Amino acid sequence: MMRLALGSLRRHRGAYLGTFLAAFLAVALLAGAGLLLFSVLTAKPPADRFAATAVVLSGDREVTLQTVRKKKDKVKTKTKSERLTGAGTLPVDLAGRIAAVPGVADAVADYAFPVAFPVRGEDGAPVVGHGWASAALTPYTLEQGRPPAAGEVVVDADLAARGGLSTGDQVPITTRTGVRTLRVSGVAAPAGRDGLPAQGAVFLADREVPAVSGLAGPTAIGVLAAPGADRAALAAAVRAVAGDATLLTGADKVRGDLPGALPDYIGPISIFGFTIGITAFAAVFVLTGTVALGVRQRLRELALLRTAGATPGQLRRLLGLESVVLAAVAAVPAMPLGVVVARVVAARFRALGAVPAQFTVGVNVLVLGGAAAAGVLVTFVAARIAGRRAVRIAPTQALVETATAPRGGLLVRVLAALVTAGGAVAVLSFVPLGGPLGMGMSFVSSALLLCAVAALGPVLVRALTAVVGRLTRVAGVTGWLAGTVARVESRRVAAVAVPLVLMFAVNATMLLNSSLLGRLTADEHAARNAPATGQVTGPAGLPLDAVGDLAALPGVTGAAATLPTRAIVAQGGKPEDHPSQGLFLAGREAAIDLGVREGRIGGDDTFAASSYLVRQYGWRVGDEVPIWLADGYQVTLRLAAVYERSRGFGDMALPARLVAAHDPRGLVAAVALRYDGDVASRIRERWPALRVTPTAEAVRAGDAQNQQGAWELMVVISLGFTAIAVVNTFAIATAARRREYADLRLAGATAGQVHRMVTGEAAITVAVGLLLGAAVAGIVVGAFSTAQDGVFRLIVDPVTYAGMLAGVAALGMVAGALPIRLVLRRRALPAVADGR
Amino acid sequence: MTPTVVEVLDVTKSYPGSAGVRALDGVSVGFAAGTFCAVMGPSGSGKSTLLHCAAGLDRPDSGRVLLAGQEISGLREPKLTTVRRRRVGFVFQSYNLMDSLSVWHNVLLPQRLAGVRPDRSWAREVMRRVGLTGRENDRPGQLSGGQRQRVALARALAGRPEVIFADEPTGALDLSTGREVLALLREAVDGFGTAVIMVTHDPAAAAWADRVVFLADGRIVAELADPTVEKVAAQMTAVSAR
Ligand SMILES: Nc1ncnc2c1ncn2[C@@H]1O[C@H](COP(=O)(O)OP(=O)(O)O)[C@@H](O)[C@H]1O
Ligand SMILES: [Mg+2]
Repeated sequence: MMRLALGSLRRHRGAYLGTFLAAFLAVALLAGAGLLLFSVLTAKPPADRFAATAVVLSGDREVTLQTVRKKKDKVKTKTKSERLTGAGTLPVDLAGRIAAVPGVADAVADYAFPVAFPVRGEDGAPVVGHGWASAALTPYTLEQGRPPAAGEVVVDADLAARGGLSTGDQVPITTRTGVRTLRVSGVAAPAGRDGLPAQGAVFLADREVPAVSGLAGPTAIGVLAAPGADRAALAAAVRAVAGDATLLTGADKVRGDLPGALPDYIGPISIFGFTIGITAFAAVFVLTGTVALGVRQRLRELALLRTAGATPGQLRRLLGLESVVLAAVAAVPAMPLGVVVARVVAARFRALGAVPAQFTVGVNVLVLGGAAAAGVLVTFVAARIAGRRAVRIAPTQALVETATAPRGGLLVRVLAALVTAGGAVAVLSFVPLGGPLGMGMSFVSSALLLCAVAALGPVLVRALTAVVGRLTRVAGVTGWLAGTVARVESRRVAAVAVPLVLMFAVNATMLLNSSLLGRLTADEHAARNAPATGQVTGPAGLPLDAVGDLAALPGVTGAAATLPTRAIVAQGGKPEDHPSQGLFLAGREAAIDLGVREGRIGGDDTFAASSYLVRQYGWRVGDEVPIWLADGYQVTLRLAAVYERSRGFGDMALPARLVAAHDPRGLVAAVALRYDGDVASRIRERWPALRVTPTAEAVRAGDAQNQQGAWELMVVISLGFTAIAVVNTFAIATAARRREYADLRLAGATAGQVHRMVTGEAAITVAVGLLLGAAVAGIVVGAFSTAQDGVFRLIVDPVTYAGMLAGVAALGMVAGALPIRLVLRRRALPAVADGR
Repeated sequence: MTPTVVEVLDVTKSYPGSAGVRALDGVSVGFAAGTFCAVMGPSGSGKSTLLHCAAGLDRPDSGRVLLAGQEISGLREPKLTTVRRRRVGFVFQSYNLMDSLSVWHNVLLPQRLAGVRPDRSWAREVMRRVGLTGRENDRPGQLSGGQRQRVALARALAGRPEVIFADEPTGALDLSTGREVLALLREAVDGFGTAVIMVTHDPAAAAWADRVVFLADGRIVAELADPTVEKVAAQMTAVSAR
């Protein structure tokens, strides 16, 4: 059996090349995506600022909810948590109590807070402020100067080098409590390097830290063990005193650091998760189609084997074995390519800022092996399914010129199409596409619709070629030939058209949906800021207190300050975090228009929420809602208003004062002002550091920008892969038809006529593919668009749409018409006429 | 003396790869219009190569080929195709029909490709003569081998060619079906005045011809007029023994 399979592989080298290529690319992509996901999931914090400590106690770093459900006599406890973007604090007196525990040499109250500094760390790393006592936790030691006194700061050697700072220099630092100019009293560094990777450090006088940081207590306590103390006993003793503070040891200690100071892998995890989803779908889809096409083209050989006495079971095993050998061989070079793909994508994502600068791709043998195994499995299953009917081919078919497999399975096809199309409809109608899941779910529904198209392919194509094929008749005898052949060979046309459908549908959907979102976001941004005359921004953000001065300027009739943050609300015991804003309003006129649908923004202890969130959580105006702020502090606020324009803004508008106090950054990103007269120039005069821009420039959240870049890169990858699939399928189909073209030549067709016929067929195939692709994209984009703002759109962006149409059409035409030129040029006519 | 329809003059042809071996080694032979000539020889003796060169499907390395008085050995595509489809019909062992077209469309295809208005009544007459009336709308895949070869023959005849080239036309057929096809080729010569040049290795098939030429190692080694099965078989034995 093995020998037969290997022999068959060798003999049909050309025919297998297509399957090989598909398996190769599929495994490479799966391996690449798998490595990326694996690497973000296992990414380690680059450095431990608490390296010198034995134990770290930390305030809250996540919101954890427990639901206890009683079922008869069983009690089920479910724990769900959501990470905080800020850091919870510990009681001020705790460090003193810990220091008294036997075996503890020192307990350092660690204050960590983000600082806007003239320079950032390596790769744009954030700068974090601490009290000088925290230097002992790493430890940082002074390279020059002395510890900071009041009004002074010690900077790490890396920041000093970047900022050209040395002892005695004056340097401004901004925190949420304001801007201060401090004198550099010294430069410190951890042992053996200039600074920690991924975070720059500045140290203030311990006495000043609570006031500068605005923190109510330390964010963590680092416990230094006395020499010779038993670690386990120490941890137990500390735990007894620690109360409800979280006790961290070993590699977990880093989690006591400020969340913003550690590279964040939550975003990349969802991006790479999505990448692997798309990749896996496209790979499986393409591979299945290619394998099926390959098997169909070898029907005659299968029939010959049947005449030679092979049983259907033997043929099934032959196909299975063959596919395993082929895919396994393809996987060998595919795995290193996967590593390359992962590295390239990671580098690009790093450049885009979609992943932390410290992110590196780890090579994991299990992931690579898994991708290879998945590729082999998919090829095997596809071959077995494609061979299911083919192996029952009657031996007599071998004697017939074109072997045809027993038809049928129409019922199965229709059923499969109904199930997948039904799934797509269900996703489109029941999942709130307007929410954060919208993009992912619209992809899922287009994937399901594509499966339906693939299942019904031959049927759909027969109907379409009947129409399209008629049109080509105007092109004379070659057009007539192309139309007739396409109609008769609708299965083959379907096989070749499906990758085109895939290419158009998947990529157009992604591009159009993201372009729609981008436009809606820009529109809403513009509408929100329409009432404002100007926007005031500072280089690092403005402390909230400064806004009052701006609002009080003569001529200013309205002001709206926004502090970007994230807040957590819970539903059914599951905490969920949402982008939000701290909103400060002043003046008699509104400077921001959130599109309030219900209620009024403002009032003590109230907040406003987007209509999406209100729908999601079933809130009503007047409801009291528990909300966790960035540092885990819980407040209960009354819902006072519901607004529409949440894109690029956030889902909750919270009291600015609360956000300033509980988000470690806590700075105003922009102040929208409404004014008459020369207010702008007066602002510039009085606060030279501030910028006043008259038009509302799109100050998009940095996050959204990164996501957009990542998204575009994914479209590029997906475009590339699907394009290769298109070319590959066309090439396989053409190679198998060499004989047919030679017959045509023998019947008196000139090479030019054959080219024209092939071009005609390619045009029909492309037209069919684009029609079906546009249908799939139309359904998904239409539903997505309706879910966004109630407007049904098909095309969204005419330029993108036309570009996709033209691009896919051009690729299809080239892929359809080019291989034949190579085939015809190579073969001398008589050789093929003989059937050789 | 009947005029020659195909004239091969001192043609040599060798294939790249088979180093030094000439498939045709200075072959000169003429084929008279309206006659049936068989080309015989052992396997590999160059029969197919001769046929391809004579029909303009392949270009000889040297020498000349005249088709209906026109020199074709120097012609290039697509001119060669135009000449071929006006004057020549083909019937090969592997039928070479378009599977996605019906029998009727297959028969009319060469004329359509030539851009001439197909002569439908003549095509119908040819279909009747080859015994395929009523099968016009079938696809080749639905026909037996003999029926397919008859479609190929009808297609060749429908264009009223001056010469039909046939390479082992009965090679894939059983004895009686093969005989029917040979009878039809004979009728094409006798009834329509078409010349037929047929490559075969079967003495029984060659006996249907007016004349047999024998090839061995790329040269013409013998010739027979008014052949019978016995005479052809004897000559073949002699040729093969050389
Ligand atoms: N396309 C080709 N490439 C290389 N050698 C060929 C080719 N076609 C034929 N030959 C060689 O040329 C010689 C004559 O072949 P052919 O004319 O097909 O013989 P016949 O038809 O008499 O069996 C043989 O030796 C054969 O191997
Ligand atoms: Mg031969």
